[in-house]
Parts: sequence; C-alpha cells; structure tokens
Amino acid sequence: MTYTQRRSAAGLFFLAPYAFSFIAFILLPIIVSLCLSVMQFDMTAPHSVKFVGAHNYQEAWKDDYFWQALRATFGYVVLMVPGLIVTALGMALGLHGMARGRNTVRALLFLPGMLNVAVTGILWQWFYNGEFGLFNFVLKHLGLNAAPWLSEKSYAMPSIVIMSLWWSLGGTSIVLLAALQQIPKQIFEAALLDGATGPALLNRITLPLLRPVLLFVVVTNTIAGFQVFGQPFLLTRGGPELSTRGLVQYIYETAFNNYRLGYGAAMSWMLFAIVAVFALVQYSFLRRSTS
Amino acid sequence: MNAVLKKVNSVFMSLVAAVFLSPIVLMILTSFKPEAEVLNPASVVPKHWTLANYQYLLGWSEEAPFGRWLLNSFFIATSVTLLVVLFSSMAAFAITRLRVPGGNFVLGIIVASMMVPGQLFLVPLYLMLSRLHWLDTPAALIIPATAGGFGVFMLSQFMRAIPEAIEEAALIDGCTPMGLYLNVSLPLCAPALATLGIFTFVGSWNDFLGPLVFMDSVRNYTLPVGIALYQSSYYTEYGLTLATSVLATSPLVLVFMAFQRQIVESMSSTGLKD
Repeated sequence: MTYTQRRSAAGLFFLAPYAFSFIAFILLPIIVSLCLSVMQFDMTAPHSVKFVGAHNYQEAWKDDYFWQALRATFGYVVLMVPGLIVTALGMALGLHGMARGRNTVRALLFLPGMLNVAVTGILWQWFYNGEFGLFNFVLKHLGLNAAPWLSEKSYAMPSIVIMSLWWSLGGTSIVLLAALQQIPKQIFEAALLDGATGPALLNRITLPLLRPVLLFVVVTNTIAGFQVFGQPFLLTRGGPELSTRGLVQYIYETAFNNYRLGYGAAMSWMLFAIVAVFALVQYSFLRRSTS
Repeated sequence: MNAVLKKVNSVFMSLVAAVFLSPIVLMILTSFKPEAEVLNPASVVPKHWTLANYQYLLGWSEEAPFGRWLLNSFFIATSVTLLVVLFSSMAAFAITRLRVPGGNFVLGIIVASMMVPGQLFLVPLYLMLSRLHWLDTPAALIIPATAGGFGVFMLSQFMRAIPEAIEEAALIDGCTPMGLYLNVSLPLCAPALATLGIFTFVGSWNDFLGPLVFMDSVRNYTLPVGIALYQSSYYTEYGLTLATSVLATSPLVLVFMAFQRQIVESMSSTGLKD
C-alpha cells in the first residue's frame, strides 16, 4: 500500500464514529420525519397507520389552533428580535465607550445567559406572580395598582419577552461589541476631523460597518425566535387562552400529549419552511442594502 | 465635555450591570429566607437566615429526588461532552489532515445539516428511540447528541490552519496517523477543544425539550426538567423552588467563573466569521 492509500484507510477509521452517528441521528431522522409527515401515525392506534399524502399539511391549513400558534410565535418574534437588537446595540456602544471595568460589566451582562431556561422561568414566575409576586409587592408598596403580568392577554407576551431579553441580551451584546472593536479607530478620527457629530457617526459609519454582523445577529435570532418554547411553556403554559402558545409547544402537545406523530411531523416541516423563507428574505434584503 | 460623557456612560453601564445581576442576587438571598419572609419581604437581606430549604431539598424524597437529578445531569452532560469532543476531533482530523476522499463534500453536508432546526428532529427521534428501547434511559440524551455538526465544523477550521511543515516533520520522524492525531493535532487545537467542551457541557446541562420528551420516570429526569415539573406542583413555595434554582445554577456559574474569558472570547468570534 502506498502512503496515500494508508492515509485514506486511516481517514475512514477516524471518520467512522462521527459518520455513523450523523447518519443515524441526523440524516435518518430527517427521512423518518418526511415519511411521518405524509402518514397517519397515532401512537395510541398502531393499527391505523397508513399513507395519507398531503392530508396532514391540509389539516394544518384548516386548523384554527395552528394559526393561533403561528400568531403567538409571530407575536414573540416581532417583539423580541427588534427589542433585542436595539438594546444589544445600545449595550455594545455603551461597553465600547467604557475606559475601565468593561470586561466586568460584559461578564455580568452575560451571566443570566448561563442560567437554564427552567431556572429563569422559576425566577421570573416569582417576580410576575399576581398575588405573591415580587413586582406586584413592590407596586403595592409604592401605592400603585398590581399588574396582571401573566394573567391578561395584552400583558403576557410582553412579560415573556422582557424575561427573554434579560436572559439573552448578554450574548448578542458581546457579538456586537466584538464587531465594534474591529472598526479601525482612524475611521472615526477622520470623520471627527471632517466635523461629523454623534448621530451622523452612528448612521454613516458605525451602522454601515456593522451591517454584516447585524445581518448575522438578526437572522440567527429570528430563527431562534420562531423556535421559542421554554420561556412561554414555563411562565404561562401557553395561556391565557392559548395566547402565548407558540408553534413548537403546539407541535410538542400534538405529538407527545395526543400522540399524533404524523401531524406533529407535518407541522414541524411547515415551521421549518416558514423559518427558511424568513431567513432567506432577511438575508437577501440586508445583503442588498449592504452593497 | 467628552470626559463628562464618558463618566456618565460608565455610571450608566454599571447601573445596567447591577440591574442585570439583581435577579440572581435576589434568588440567592431569598433561598436563605423562611417561607413567611419570602412572601412578605421586609428587606432584601434575610432577617432570619435559614438552611431549611436546602436541608429539605437534599433530604431524599421519592417525588423530588433532587440529588438523583443532579447526578443524572452530571453524568449526561459529561458523557455528551467527552463523546462530542472525541468524535468531532477525529472527524475533523480525518477530513482536514488525512484528506479522506470526498471529505470536503462530507463537510459541506454536515454544515448544511446545521441549518435544520432542532425541533424538527423531536418527533422522528422519539419514534426511533422508542424502537431502540432507549426512551427513559440516559442513552436517549447522550448518543443522538454526538451527531451535531458544530464541533466538526469548528475544529476543521482550526486543524486546517496547522502548518503542513509540522505534519511533514512528524511523518519523516516515523509518526503514524494515530500519533499525528494524539501528539500533533490535539495539542495544537487545545483551546478550540476546550471551547467546544465548555459549550457542549453548558448546552447539554441546560437542554430542556430533550429530557422533557424522552424521559418518563421522575427518577430519570435531568435537573432542569425535574425542578420545572417539581415547581409546578409546589409553585407557591418560592423559598424551596429558589433553593433548587440556586443548586441547579451553581455548577454552571462555577464553570463560567473559571472559563469566563474563554467563553466570552469565543462568543465574540461567532459573529465575525463572514
């Protein structure tokens, strides 16, 4: 055997464990999921398994709960993504302007992101609780009315978003700060010499130079936002009146509480399609405005 | 003028940091309060410090075996981390250093698969794991987790950057592929391996949907799912649930404090690739 042949043989040996895992737990589930989505597959009725074509997809189209879940998911994304980007940008600019203590503040902003979603949910449920909650306790002490943080439709989703901002602001701020630090100082100095002021600097120099990173942050957070599950599930269980039940929670309940795996798989693909379309639109839109 | 602005900015950012930290401080302080003081807080710092909440939790109970959940989480997160680092580094080594035929095509497929959102795998994995009789066992959370593409992608970037001269020198000295992997590639990638390890451990420790779907019996839960379900049945005993939260969080906060710089630096670089 030549050296190249031996190297290739060794390469296959090194690749094998991961390749096996990848085929079994990434490729195969994708195929299984596609098959399930065109089948009637109820775990409670194993004998009624059959091919039904596009029926599951048509059912979702006519399912009021599906649309309601989609609206809730949109509601989360529309509040969360712009809120996160604007506050994270503000934090990154603030951190960038700090002469001392920047690393400490940066670490403290990131710390909530290390908590897991269950702990975050428990903590904020205590803050938000109508009767025993900390926020209402403080409001009452200040002589103000208690707020229905989680029990009223118009409050519930913003409350969930506030908690999510606290939880995930640090990570996004760090990414934006790193991008800010890569902009050469000379560019700002030249602009200042030409008489540029604060807002113009931000609009004409900082934001355009940050565009690639902003694109990355907007797209990844939109994708993550469409998949939101833990935060509403733990704070409200999707209530009140299912107003905060997103698509992933509806898929979870369809597949694992009602055991309708076929319908759950079909809705997963529909969510994937929606996310992919949004990501592509954002990507091409922001790309075009860059050049 | 500029100096004043800088001062204002520093004070403002310190205030923001304090606001961000305050829920965590409140959580820790409140977990040492007796129940009456939790619901009717007279001060932020407990008037009567008590360990009652922790004593209750660490005492063994059938409906909330907290210690067992902690062990489950440790076992699962550690196994996932070791296997992911091992499999991913071997695969990245095969693709970039041993130049296995079709390696770049394989890497392309792996990267493409990272675009597929995790929730899509939930239903088919449940069905497959039930056929394998892995449901309600740690294997359900460990083995599928080794298939993620991020580690292979990241380590490939690192290993590609190792100069070929080093490799050739090792080969001339009679180094086998295994020797190359163990003595050259792994040591040179140590920072990347550590980063991958930390991210994998934290991700596995904090996973919520996976154990919620794949684990059935109370004693097999991981910590996040255990305390979330426990909390929904004892939900107004905030002293207790906050103590569970403190215990669930402290291992990760220790990891964070030990590797703070590394975690923050690698977070920073994620957005800068393209």
